[in-house]
Amino acid sequence: MTATIQRKQRTSAPPRTRLPVSNFAAKTTMAVTGLIFVGFVFVHMYGNLHIFRGQEEFDHYAHWLREILMPLMPYAGVLWVLRVVLLISLVLHVGCGLLLWTRARRARGPFKRTGLRRGDALMARSMLGTGLVILLFVIFHILDLTLGVQPAASGAFESGSAYANLVASFQRPVVALFYMLTMLVLTVHVAHGTWTAANDLGATGRRLRQLAAWVAGLVAIAICLGNISIPVLVLLGVIQ
Amino acid sequence: MKLTLKVWRQESGAEEGHFEEYLLEEVGPEFSLLEALDKLNDDLVARGEEPIAFDSDCREGICGACGVTVDGTPHGPQKNTPSCRQHLRSFEDGATVQLEPFRSGAFPVVKDLAVNRSALDRVIGAGGFVSTSVGTAPDADAIPVTHEAAEWALDLAACIGCGACVAACPNGSAQLFAGSKTMHLATLPSSSKERGRRAKGITRAAEEEFGPCSVYGECAEVCPAGIPLTAIAGLNKEKLRQVLRNKDD
Ligand code: HEM
Ligand code: SF4
Ligand code: FES
Repeated sequence: MTATIQRKQRTSAPPRTRLPVSNFAAKTTMAVTGLIFVGFVFVHMYGNLHIFRGQEEFDHYAHWLREILMPLMPYAGVLWVLRVVLLISLVLHVGCGLLLWTRARRARGPFKRTGLRRGDALMARSMLGTGLVILLFVIFHILDLTLGVQPAASGAFESGSAYANLVASFQRPVVALFYMLTMLVLTVHVAHGTWTAANDLGATGRRLRQLAAWVAGLVAIAICLGNISIPVLVLLGVIQ
Repeated sequence: MKLTLKVWRQESGAEEGHFEEYLLEEVGPEFSLLEALDKLNDDLVARGEEPIAFDSDCREGICGACGVTVDGTPHGPQKNTPSCRQHLRSFEDGATVQLEPFRSGAFPVVKDLAVNRSALDRVIGAGGFVSTSVGTAPDADAIPVTHEAAEWALDLAACIGCGACVAACPNGSAQLFAGSKTMHLATLPSSSKERGRRAKGITRAAEEEFGPCSVYGECAEVCPAGIPLTAIAGLNKEKLRQVLRNKDD
């Protein structure tokens, strides 16, 4: 490549005062925290499926979560460790996400790329938007089912009655709809996020890349179907 | 056939640009895009107007000098094909085709369709070279290199440095370019002596000049050298390796 160049002349925007976080550090942080979320959401979905075993099993499961490693850890100890890890991850993930997004927009300059049609590219473009929807949902979800703060929670909220709280919450169609829409959004974020994380963490082997692509798609779909089945069955009256 | 060309005209980097429409007649489907521009420039010069500036050299897809954005897509509608190998047969007779320079923050317009891509050179200057002395050519099998490794290194070395990957990227990232340059050298024994230093230098320069990669995958769609998306993971892998080992090799 030669032709029209002036080698010495700086072409990019003059270096501004940047946060002392490299893109590489930010991307690696995104990948690690993102994968922690994917692991959490997947296990959470699996736990949610206890709802199909009935009220007693589900409440028992919710209670059991607080007793993991019980003699070694205090009541709800493991749960609190998880909560702290997830909160720190969330702050890092959102912070790095916004940082990378602003740097990306600045690097592209005034002429936006147009004509993106491939699924991959559209999913990549949606990452900030889908991420923010998930963030809103997470806040609502905690107010609704963990803390029971109204009006996010249903009027019937009762601490400790996980099954009844969940059913009462989903019997409100608007809440069930918001939940289902968020799950679709989450599917996109998880699918592209997992694939991106594989690339950020340096997956170059041909078989490893194939595996990552499959895992990304299948995990995303499993999370979506598993979770969505719950509000659907509540609305249909199968789970009461 | 006839075409209407909507061409970006810009006197210099310091001035504002705008689109101008030109009617292009007496061209055929076998014309390359750049031959069509040559024809238009002949017409313009004959009319006493200023010809359209654009870069090109080999016109056979090996040098990386050419590069215009055609209807929003870097290089043009034909995938993995440089501007000089795009042909008018991709367009309907009578169509309007929009020609812009490669767009990215790191590629300022020099004039009309020509941009300054020296930011790519600065990435190479930061580590895309071999500085260890390898002496004279060794005996053929003195340093074993598998056939697969050699082929893979050659595939990655095919990058012609055109910058289309940057122009295709909504993030203005040069990850595909930087990845191919880092990985082809990391794949072979003699050049892999400086893997750590190279990964560090290239990543730093690429971050100073360009944006971060979000794996849109648009770069691999336009790359005339067919560099696979694996190269973007390759750069991250090399950088991760350097961070973990903190050594020059
Ligand atoms: C349970 C929730 C979430 C999961 C499972 C998740 C997962 C992921 C994963 C795995 C990645 C790929 C990381 C990488 O770039 O290597 C990612 C990227 C991203 N996430 Fe999330 N995320 C979640 C929540 C959020 C939230 C709340 C936001 C809010 C802003 C967000 C914004 C982003 C953005 C912008 C990217 C793209 C970064 C880039 O590549 O430029 N995510 N996410
Ligand atoms: S990676 Fe492909 S698109 Fe990018 S500069 Fe090299 S040849 Fe051009
Ligand atoms: S002019 Fe050499 S690659 Fe197009």
